[in-house]
Amino acid sequence: MATAAPEHILHITPAGSPRATILFVPPLFEEANRSRRTLVLAMRALAADGFATLLPDLPGQNESLVPLEQVDLAIWQNVLADAAATIDGPLIIASLRGGALIDHHAKAAAWWRLAPVGGASLLRTLMRARVAADREGSVTSSLDSLQAEAATAPLLLAGNKLSPAMIAQLGAAEIHPVAPFRTVTLGSGADAVAGTPLWLRAEPGEDATMAAAIAADISAWSTTCGIS
Amino acid sequence: MTEPSSVDATLRALLADVLGLGENRAGALTHDSGLFGALPEFDSMAVATVLTEMEDRLGILIDDDEIDGEIFETYGNLLAFSLRKVTD
Repeated sequence: MATAAPEHILHITPAGSPRATILFVPPLFEEANRSRRTLVLAMRALAADGFATLLPDLPGQNESLVPLEQVDLAIWQNVLADAAATIDGPLIIASLRGGALIDHHAKAAAWWRLAPVGGASLLRTLMRARVAADREGSVTSSLDSLQAEAATAPLLLAGNKLSPAMIAQLGAAEIHPVAPFRTVTLGSGADAVAGTPLWLRAEPGEDATMAAAIAADISAWSTTCGIS
Repeated sequence: MTEPSSVDATLRALLADVLGLGENRAGALTHDSGLFGALPEFDSMAVATVLTEMEDRLGILIDDDEIDGEIFETYGNLLAFSLRKVTD
């Protein structure tokens, strides 16, 4: 890695001393941008409910100065573990989508995961975007040819320059068991929040109702875990 | 595996999610409605996202060599492709 300049962390905190801290792990790559506004609305709702909330920039993402091609999932896992270790009092880690692939090295009192996704699925979509863009430019590529190329050199996928290590780790990354954890999907029922998959959207949107549902679900999970 | 009868509804919901069409616009898509090249939201990233979501939601696998520009030309083409995949 290049210089270890501290990354930006968005803090939204309650007026008094917090009941507990929620460390959010954002979705990866473009999905983070599409979800960010709704995620921050959920942080505001949690802060109003007495929780301290944090949303760290992963190196190579958002405002980070680190080139993306210098990081990989293992680095992100360690960065999150370090961030979690600096937090006083009970901590809940709340991960969205691909964030759930990097949240298990950190120590926490509980985990909460929204619509977790396997690394292979994220990688497949990024590679397909490259194949589709290549096709528009009359360049012939395929998932196989890109995979072969990625073994030895960084690959530019939908604007993300990913190292061979990152691509290999993404292709194999699965959700790791942690305890206690709650997994929530989108939809209706006991283990779901109502909303739309904003992280898939071609153009960023926001959903205040969904943000409120996310905040309420995390707050209830905190109570269930006996945290506060 | 998804039932053929529900493929149309699944596909419309998927396009609504990815392209942010809203239920009304997604519901109003006809067989002749243009997709790639006709809807500004439908860029190469959206094509990729639609393919991965089709695999997840329809329980199918799509190979590279099955994908050509024609599939995404119209809603009717995409529906026909999906129906063929789920009944394969």
